[in-house]
Amino acid sequence: MAGLRRNARLIWRVWVFTMRSFLASEFFILTAILQPIIFASIAFFLFQAGGERAGEHTLLFAALGTGMMGVWSTTLFGCGGAIQWHRWEGTLELLIAAPSRYDMVLLGQTLGASTFGFYSIGATIAWGMLLFGMPLNAAFPLLLPVALAVAILSLGCLGMLLATSFVLYRHANALSNLLEYPVWIVTGMIVPLAALPGWLGPISWVLAPTWAMEAIRGSAIATTPPLLAMLLCLLLAAIYYLLARWVLRFVLDKARRDATLALA
Amino acid sequence: MTAAAALPALARPAAPGTLRANLRLFWLGGIISYRALFNWARPSIYIPTLIGAPTFQILFFAALGTYASGRDASFFAIGNSVQVCAMSGIYGMTMAIANERWFGTLHALLATPASRWAIFGGRFLPFIANGLLVSVYGFTISWLFLGVRLEPSTLGVLALALLVTVFSCSAIGAVQGGLSMRLRDGLFGANMLVFLFLLFCGVNIPLEVLPGWMQAVSNVLPFTHGLQAVRGAAVGAGLDEVGGLILIELGIGLAYAVLAFGLFSYFERSSRQHATLDVR
Repeated sequence: MAGLRRNARLIWRVWVFTMRSFLASEFFILTAILQPIIFASIAFFLFQAGGERAGEHTLLFAALGTGMMGVWSTTLFGCGGAIQWHRWEGTLELLIAAPSRYDMVLLGQTLGASTFGFYSIGATIAWGMLLFGMPLNAAFPLLLPVALAVAILSLGCLGMLLATSFVLYRHANALSNLLEYPVWIVTGMIVPLAALPGWLGPISWVLAPTWAMEAIRGSAIATTPPLLAMLLCLLLAAIYYLLARWVLRFVLDKARRDATLALA
Repeated sequence: MTAAAALPALARPAAPGTLRANLRLFWLGGIISYRALFNWARPSIYIPTLIGAPTFQILFFAALGTYASGRDASFFAIGNSVQVCAMSGIYGMTMAIANERWFGTLHALLATPASRWAIFGGRFLPFIANGLLVSVYGFTISWLFLGVRLEPSTLGVLALALLVTVFSCSAIGAVQGGLSMRLRDGLFGANMLVFLFLLFCGVNIPLEVLPGWMQAVSNVLPFTHGLQAVRGAAVGAGLDEVGGLILIELGIGLAYAVLAFGLFSYFERSSRQHATLDVR
């Protein structure tokens, strides 16, 4: 019980530290607020030019989609750099040698990154309401906070898996650049999967942002509660976390054996 | 054979200040600065960032544009194929100037009596070539996967419009680079510019759809006129039809290049006066 409390406290402290450091970072303000607003404007103009083809909730559909794109970008860059920044600052070895569990530190960082990303959704919704006259009424207002919570958890755990995979790669930020657009496409954030080639479907099923988007959008504009999407978010979060722990143990062992922890 | 004998004989250096010295500085300085200061000029970063990301950017906007607006994918494919040159023109030019400061070489560079025009101008060439390469790659992707077909008879006009657009994009990148001599984080502005081009310059949204004030802003940004010229040439418009647009784009590019040089010179003088050259 004491161990559980200690780990929860560790995650909480790292989460707060990550949120505060991102708030002081111009890059993450850009990624979580300004970039989603620009993409939301592009989407609003395009949907308006096309006669609001996504139905009566087109603008809300676009605001949530572009907001979620911002969530993904923040998670991706925040988690991609989670280990890299410690390496640059020279604190990675200390963190790993410390008696506290490093996987809990990393989980706190990645949950912090995904939580920070949710500023994006607030920004795009506010932008849509202020400039494009978007109406805001959620179909299931009580489910919406739950959907946001499971989305944060699943994206944080996916981010942890990404972060551990990037340990052995020297240029994690380049991989982050590469992975931004493909996930926007394949998870149906702004273009529904039904409008994309069918072979993308199975790829989208194993990516948490697909179900996180489904859960949030479902709570806002669907006719039935998105319970299945929420459950799948939780299931994927558990799988990502276990996988990340396994990968982390493997890559840290390798980095220690090869004496490349600070160099990779 | 001794080590000294194995070294190739060095060419006799040109006298400082002569045309030959300045041309040498322009050419060699540009190449060396590209290799030394452009962080992405290695395969492990170049391929994901300047090949991978533009590929998915083009596919993303083609999918979004056709779904949301009902327009043909080729409109978005052409727009983004041209815009992806900003990855080199904006980020590259910013790094080529700002990294002198970050890598601690700026004070040594500015202490030399070398021509500032030669130092500054030489930085453009590698990034223009790089931007062209990325855009041509973008057009290839668009041709392969998105059905973009270019009119063969006006390919030369299209190439000219693309070259001028890449130049003007690099010029505004140089402005950002100049500002980065003073700013703490130059890449913030570079990121903003790249995203704003997507919104303002007719890359994804036809200009007539934008509100008046946005159209007014787009008129003084790179890409807007060059991209119109590229779109025209892609469907067979000749130099007589799009030549005016190309000239306007060239004028905008030159204006930004002069502004960038002015900023570079001003910040150099100001940094010397206030001893803030290396202050970050």
